[in-house]
Amino acid sequence: MDEVADASDSDGYLTEDSGCPDAGESETGKTLEDEIASSTYSAQNEKIHADLAIQKKKLDRLKKKDPEFSKFLESFNNSAETFKNEDEYSDEGDSSDQEQGDNDLNKDKGKLLTNSVINTWCQMVKEDHSQSALISLLNAYRSACHYGTESIGHTIENSETFCNILLFTLSNANDIFRGLLKMSSLKSTKETLQELKKAATWNSLKPLVKSFVRSTLFLLNQVTNTDILTFAMTRLRACLIFFLAFPSLMQRFIKATVHLWATGERPLSSASYLVTWDIAAMFSSNYLDTCLSKVLVAFVSRSGVTEIVDIKHMQFLRDCIVELCSIDVQKSSIKAVASISQLAKLYSWGVQTKKKEAVRKICSWEYVNCVDLWVRFISANISDYDLQSLFFMTIQLINGLAYMFPGPRYFPLRLKCIGWLNYLAHSGRSFIPLASLVLDILEYNIGKEGRKAQNAINIASVLKLPKQYIKSKSFQDECFHSAIEQLALHFAQWSHHICFPDLATIPLIRLRKIHEITTIESLRRMVKRLIDQVEQNVDFVQKKRDEVSFSPHDHQSVDSFLQLEKSSLNAPFTQYYRSVLEKAAERNLHKCGKISLPKQRNLKRNRTEPRKEPVAAEVDHPMVENGVADAKRKKRVTKVQ
Amino acid sequence: MGKKKQKLVLPPELPPEVPEEEVEVSDEDVQFVKENLEYAGFVSNLDTHSITKHVTRVADANEEALESLYEKRLRKKLENKEKEQNALEVDPVDALPVKTLDGQLYYRRVTKEPKAEEESKEGESISKDPGLVKLTKAEKRAKHKKLRKEAKKQAKEEVQQTPQAEVLDEVKKDLTAEEASESKKYKLAELGTALLADPESNIKHIKEMLEISKDGDAAIVILGLKSLLAVFKDIIPGYRIRLPTEKEQEMKVSKAVKKMRFYESTLLSAYKAYVQKLVALQQQPVYKRVAVRCLCTLLAAVPHFNFRESLLAAVVKNISSDDDVVRKLCCETVMSLFSNEGKHGGEATVEAVKMIAELVKAHNCQLHPDSVEVLLSLSFDEDLGKPENPDADSRTKNKKSKKRKGLDEPNHIPDNERKKIRKEMISKTREEVSADFKAASYAQDPQERRRVQSETLSAVFQTFFRILKHAMQPGLGANTAPGASGSHPLLAPCLNGIGKFSHLIDLDFMADLMRCLRKLAGSGIQSVDLSENSSCQLTVSERLRCCIVAFKVMKNNLDALNIDLQEFLVQFYNLILEYHPGRDQGEVLAEAFKIMLCDDRQHDMQRAAAFIKRLATFSLCFGSAESMAALVSVKHLLQKNVKCRNLLENDAGGGSVAGAIAKYQPYATDPNRSGALASVLWELNLLMKHYHPAVCSIASSISTMNTSNNQVYHSHVSPLQAYMELSQENKSFTAPGDIKRASNKRKRGNDTLPVKIGSDLNLMDQVDENEVRKKLAEHFLLLRDIQENEKLRSELDRTTLALNLYEHYKKQKKRKTR
Repeated sequence: MDEVADASDSDGYLTEDSGCPDAGESETGKTLEDEIASSTYSAQNEKIHADLAIQKKKLDRLKKKDPEFSKFLESFNNSAETFKNEDEYSDEGDSSDQEQGDNDLNKDKGKLLTNSVINTWCQMVKEDHSQSALISLLNAYRSACHYGTESIGHTIENSETFCNILLFTLSNANDIFRGLLKMSSLKSTKETLQELKKAATWNSLKPLVKSFVRSTLFLLNQVTNTDILTFAMTRLRACLIFFLAFPSLMQRFIKATVHLWATGERPLSSASYLVTWDIAAMFSSNYLDTCLSKVLVAFVSRSGVTEIVDIKHMQFLRDCIVELCSIDVQKSSIKAVASISQLAKLYSWGVQTKKKEAVRKICSWEYVNCVDLWVRFISANISDYDLQSLFFMTIQLINGLAYMFPGPRYFPLRLKCIGWLNYLAHSGRSFIPLASLVLDILEYNIGKEGRKAQNAINIASVLKLPKQYIKSKSFQDECFHSAIEQLALHFAQWSHHICFPDLATIPLIRLRKIHEITTIESLRRMVKRLIDQVEQNVDFVQKKRDEVSFSPHDHQSVDSFLQLEKSSLNAPFTQYYRSVLEKAAERNLHKCGKISLPKQRNLKRNRTEPRKEPVAAEVDHPMVENGVADAKRKKRVTKVQ
Repeated sequence: MGKKKQKLVLPPELPPEVPEEEVEVSDEDVQFVKENLEYAGFVSNLDTHSITKHVTRVADANEEALESLYEKRLRKKLENKEKEQNALEVDPVDALPVKTLDGQLYYRRVTKEPKAEEESKEGESISKDPGLVKLTKAEKRAKHKKLRKEAKKQAKEEVQQTPQAEVLDEVKKDLTAEEASESKKYKLAELGTALLADPESNIKHIKEMLEISKDGDAAIVILGLKSLLAVFKDIIPGYRIRLPTEKEQEMKVSKAVKKMRFYESTLLSAYKAYVQKLVALQQQPVYKRVAVRCLCTLLAAVPHFNFRESLLAAVVKNISSDDDVVRKLCCETVMSLFSNEGKHGGEATVEAVKMIAELVKAHNCQLHPDSVEVLLSLSFDEDLGKPENPDADSRTKNKKSKKRKGLDEPNHIPDNERKKIRKEMISKTREEVSADFKAASYAQDPQERRRVQSETLSAVFQTFFRILKHAMQPGLGANTAPGASGSHPLLAPCLNGIGKFSHLIDLDFMADLMRCLRKLAGSGIQSVDLSENSSCQLTVSERLRCCIVAFKVMKNNLDALNIDLQEFLVQFYNLILEYHPGRDQGEVLAEAFKIMLCDDRQHDMQRAAAFIKRLATFSLCFGSAESMAALVSVKHLLQKNVKCRNLLENDAGGGSVAGAIAKYQPYATDPNRSGALASVLWELNLLMKHYHPAVCSIASSISTMNTSNNQVYHSHVSPLQAYMELSQENKSFTAPGDIKRASNKRKRGNDTLPVKIGSDLNLMDQVDENEVRKKLAEHFLLLRDIQENEKLRSELDRTTLALNLYEHYKKQKKRKTR
């Protein structure tokens, strides 16, 4: 097919018919722009302009004074010019796509695009389905996309024109192309592609589509403003099918999309994610592979970058990946196994050698986020698929992690591990003993008389506690609260199991001891409350089970024990547990007010009902955008300054 | 050969001064002349031009070469990468005779260049020599540097003769030092080979080698020590050398014997000096490791030879060294002594053990655990009964004294009984010879071995009991301990040792020992009951070990003693609750399960039930490895105690077997009072939901054990094995069952997955078009501004450049006009 042609970057320019109305008279739009123009650059420009004038004047004077100098200067300039040109060519050889196209385009350079022209074209395209107008429009679109990097194609008169071109093309490209191709369905699936390729007009339209795709790709890579990108992404979601026709461009498109997904702000990220999802879910499965691996890489590198993590965003990314993975659990579970065994290898290396480097690698956000990701993946799918081995491996790994770092500085990591285990236990409906892990944390705190709290610390945002916090009261509080929450969660899972009294025996003994030794009154009360609740539940279950007549080997009856009560949600322990969660949420809310770091503890609420709840993307995210600062593309900036 | 040539080197002539500016000007001049041919003749123009050019270039090169020579010498002290530079430095031009401006020809330069190279190479090879780190040399080098700097200065002042000579002198000195050490090394090698080739005739060399190893140079000393070690290891005979007494010396002997005597005495004295030197050197940190290594090797290789005592003393002293390498070496050596008793007949073992006992005593039990750990590798022959030992001891002593007498007496015997005496003498000599032979070959008689063994044992137990007593002293741990956690560093290996050698303990001590252990096992409880500071804190692992040891002791003595172990079991029952994974050693716990529960022969239903219940509860709280160990023990117990299988049934009201206590008391501290028989093992149901498949399966297998039919269950794993297996697995991550088996079969097909994230937000409407329009406009303007900015900047740059060029232009013009 035409894959070879796709790969070449040569052309996006379309030869135009002369049939459509060309340049209209240029209405001076200058006035309009001067009003808006207020960027930092314009001020700078003015200054430079002034400087330039002075310098020029000086030079002219010199030239006048000494005609021989001007001759000398000329000869010098010539030599310098050639040198410079060589330089530039070697510099930009690979960065620009349109090098070859330059020459034949130069002839069109002079064409000025005005608003009226664009409007006429749009009109023609929309109403008459005029192909020639479409070509012109696409050329205009192309120059708009490339605007600022290379002066190719047409000159755009003013900002309004620029906006019109981009908005119109992006919004209507899908309809126009579909209309021209006379495609029936609005859906984009694999079959649609076949249909598209069979369409009679496809061959004639192909270059147009390609030009559009290519220009769009360029736009995505150039623009940095979130709104523009979000807009583009939402519109592009509809015309994915056209991208699909060009596999090599598709790859680049995926790359760009994934990048935007990982780095962009929330709305942009969501939009990009939707596009990725569509690509992965609707089209052939090899795109799923590419998407998955690209997304995973982006995720890991992202978690490496954000050391002081934007937890919310990372959670969003993680949920996205989990959903992507869930498209084809078979495939992604292979990936998960590979990833987990990689992590496990790193872990056992760390355990054996005890090297600092290994420890640093393990106690990093990359590692933790990876584990987190797979935990979510497993718990999302374990009820529908057989993921036992993956489930088992992950638990082993987490258990190892929890015991690898015994010191109090690693409590945040440990709490994370406990959280994962709880989460897995809930979703997998299996028993994971974690009481001793939690109790260790509770016991450690005792007797450590903390100093006055400095800053409040959010343990969700760290893995290893900074030294100065270790004895702070806030940290102690935080640990205590989280540990109690986790223990309550653990008990809540089995609160109606027939062996709850036995499960609670050892923890109760230890909790009583903790209660005895704890000096801080608030914490003491909390422990006391937990003890009371657990004891109450123990009595309750004990009484109930004294009444039954079946034996332990009668599994069915055991499983049905107290199921009725469990579903009623009115059992005392369930209520207690709910109150604990509410308090935790409240506490977090309170803390969020105090700490600037964002924090999502309502996540814990989700844990109560392991049945996944759609993670709503917040769209009402405040768009604090500084378009000026945003648009400073790095390349530009370095060039300019 | 290098030296000779250097003597011939003439001082180099200073290159003529050629200021660079002049050269440049002269270029211009030439141009000028070229342009205005009328001013000068064509021939002269061409001549001067080429000559000047040629000469200046050469002169330049000369200057560079000279400077680089000095520079090189400086630099080569700092970095050893001179070779390439030197290679570059050798200009082919230099290989030819050079004519300077004043018309003199230089041939010498050619010889000088390679010379310098050679020097530098030598310097390199020497400084690269590993292990050549010594203070004196560094000082020397520093001096050289200084001198060279001076030399350079002087050269600049155009004093040419002296610096060259000085530099040469220094180099020579350096060379001689290097050569000396080099020659010493060779000498060592030569002497060593000669000694190894023919020790008898070359024994004198050994003194020379000793002399060499007294050198000031550390590297030489180390080499000397090492080569001496090799030599001694090889030539030391398989017997102990006894220097001839004066009487013996007076006796006439054959030449061969004389030679032999000389050889032996030389060897002995040299060996003595060597050992003394080693012992002295191990105090110095520089030589510590080498000396210790030599000592250890010697001790391991020739423990039968003279001066073993000093070797042993030195090695044992280092057995608890802070230096890991040293400590490990010493421990290994001592262990090899213990295991290869054939080499020294056990003598060394006794001595070593005694020394260790002394060491422990001297340091008040605050040593590295390794120092007691080595005692575990002792092996005792159980066939040699202990009670006979005193007899054997006295007998051997008698024998020995008799022998002595026999040796001294023969001359005082009257003549008339000569024949008889002669006969006796003959027989006596034979006896003597055989005794000597025995002594030499160390084919011991059992009595001797018995004596040695009993001495060793008593020393070992002395050490062990000392450590136990120390651990029992209240308050001591808090005061003297170097670290809070390791206040009883020796306790663990000591308990292991007692466990291992428990069958050898004298029955008289038994009661005492048990009392000790009981107290230690219960020490944690006391600390809770009383205030914290009053008693020594033992860790859970240590207390568990005490319980284990008590059981082991009892078992090994065939329960000869009627001591009730009930108390230990009670302790254990409570200790289980104090176990913390990560902090305490799971292996010890698993071992305790095995020794105290699985191997225990006593059957007490009430107690067994209590333990079963507790272990089941325990396995609900801890990791998979611990759970597994506990469950394996539960299985064992259930197999042995048929009646306990009632726990598996839910008999209303505790059933017929329920004891005095009708209701289960989970928090009771005494297993006999827990009333566990009334409980039901509901834990198994939860354990069947355990994430670990192995735990799952064992739980279900336990739950299906039957009360009614008394079938025999075979289980081959001990709790310890089970624990190790799982904890290993946890470390290596071998998933149980291959991963492929558990391929992901789809349980429920759902083809169309709804998009959950972000689907509910209609992004189409979300992004306001006007907003985008505005942003786009801003974007456009910004881009335009940037473009503008760029353009302006380049314009500005060009203009400024032009202005700057004007300056240049003016200068040039001025020059032209001048």
